[in-house]
Amino acid sequence: MVSIHPAPDQKMSESRVRLLDKLPTHIPGLDLILDGGIPEDRMTILSGGPGSGKTMLALEIFYRNAAAGTPGLMVCFEEGGEAVRINALTMGWDLNAMEEAGKLAVIHPEIDYRAIRGGEFSIEGLLAVLAGKAQEIGARFILIDALDVLLRLFNDPERQMDECWNLNRWLNANGMTALVTAKLSQSFHSVEKYDFLDYLADCVIYLDQRIDGQVMTRRLRVVKYRGSGYSSNEHPFIITRDGLVLMPVTSAALNHKPLGQVISAGMATLDRIMGGGYRQGSTVLISGPTGSGKTTFSSLFTQAACRRGERVQYVSFEESPETLIIGMKSMNIDLAPHVAEQNLRFLTAMPEAMGVEEHLYRIFSSMEEFRPSHHIVDAVSAAVRMGSEKAAFNFMVRLMDECKKNGITCIYTNQTSSRAPVDEISGVGISSLIDTAVILDYDRKGDIFGRSVLALKSRGASHSHRFHRFHITDQGILMDEDDDGAGGDAR
Amino acid sequence: MILSVAKESNTYDHRKMILFVAGEGLNSVRARENLLRVCEDRLKGRYDLEVVDVLKDYKAALAHNILVTPALLVTEPPPKVTVLGDLSDTSKLLKALQLDLTA
Repeated sequence: MVSIHPAPDQKMSESRVRLLDKLPTHIPGLDLILDGGIPEDRMTILSGGPGSGKTMLALEIFYRNAAAGTPGLMVCFEEGGEAVRINALTMGWDLNAMEEAGKLAVIHPEIDYRAIRGGEFSIEGLLAVLAGKAQEIGARFILIDALDVLLRLFNDPERQMDECWNLNRWLNANGMTALVTAKLSQSFHSVEKYDFLDYLADCVIYLDQRIDGQVMTRRLRVVKYRGSGYSSNEHPFIITRDGLVLMPVTSAALNHKPLGQVISAGMATLDRIMGGGYRQGSTVLISGPTGSGKTTFSSLFTQAACRRGERVQYVSFEESPETLIIGMKSMNIDLAPHVAEQNLRFLTAMPEAMGVEEHLYRIFSSMEEFRPSHHIVDAVSAAVRMGSEKAAFNFMVRLMDECKKNGITCIYTNQTSSRAPVDEISGVGISSLIDTAVILDYDRKGDIFGRSVLALKSRGASHSHRFHRFHITDQGILMDEDDDGAGGDAR
Repeated sequence: MILSVAKESNTYDHRKMILFVAGEGLNSVRARENLLRVCEDRLKGRYDLEVVDVLKDYKAALAHNILVTPALLVTEPPPKVTVLGDLSDTSKLLKALQLDLTA
């Protein structure tokens, strides 16, 4: 008889280590990064430069906790503190209604900077207010916004430090969980330095925003978490109308589903060239210069999939859906009925209109709701206009990753401009991640303009290895009369 | 707690103030002593003084935006003046009370 015991080290850690109690942030992704949330009965510092989104993040944690039944007290020291209620309302968080319902309280005392300093003083007044107000609503969670503003009352750095210790002691003694935001000065010459806050707090989160090739990106990083595991990576995030959204940089590639069944590439001849067609859940790259037929090939695929009753989400970075539908109609590829039947959904955006995170957020939210079987980006090479090649790489890999995880076929068209390596996207190397690579090309022999297609790579299939000539006509794509698409004279 | 009420009511010569303290803390006790000494010396019978212990009445502190203690709020004559600290700096206290106009 075999009896199973838990691993000895696991048993030991359970009995000897008391796990830290945590307050969830209720922000998907952030709780994962923080391994459950911020530490209970302790101080968490949220710092960052101006405009980095600290107040927004703090406010969201505050509001979501109140909504989930954990009442909180917010003290706002920023000048014009009442604006916080209006800002919250733009995100759909009605602080006033919650306050009336007794689920939270917001105070924004005005700090009198003209006050005369006539001797020693301390923040006892604030602590008394915090104690009284917190008791009033039964709050054990306190959000202090812009502690640095309060600290300015104390000119001496040593006094500032003392008062922070004072605050921390009081929080610990009263079993209060505190989230404190503080402006991180980015100037080297700044007199205000609040480094000691980082030593004091049990958990420290930095937010920053930087311009990456003209596109602004926000990042979050946990720099310290006493007594807890956490992810120390930089996590990009965006602020949407629903609050903060974090994107994992890359999810575990291990979750990927194996390639699915063979599906048609859109026409029989092409299927033969590909050695059967594409595979469900694979990543397909269709490369070629302008006018070589990339959009036609992806539209053919789309039409075939929609006719089978499968859903396709089509991200167009080049043309509006209307222009694309009219253009394809002239080749006898009719996409309009599939849009009407809601088997086909177009998403259009200028790549430079937003950063990678916003693009991904839009695409992922639509994907979650629409649940397509296949996803097309036409042309993914335009992603470079999201800021940089690094941004484009991020976009492609993460979209590909999301598709793989969900078994969605991911088709990228790629505009090649030179005779550079055909499976490279403007220097953004993703070739090793591609399952199937299709090359489109054209040439001119005398007066004759010719087009050709090559299956460069088709994972798990025995495919043709030569260029096959084809024509684009008002009846769609026609292969050369004597070309049945068979491998024939491979190489 | 009302510590003093003015006996005469001459608007120009009359002081009205609230001293916010935190219990019997060292700074709070000093502030009260320092203030009373100056008032009894220079303003005898011409001042209203209320002392608020923020540990007992946080609402008053909140209503007057008092975050640090001790803090003296001089409400009359206008303009309103706040003096932070234990009031050991007598010259600043006199200035706040408008008793140092010759200086």
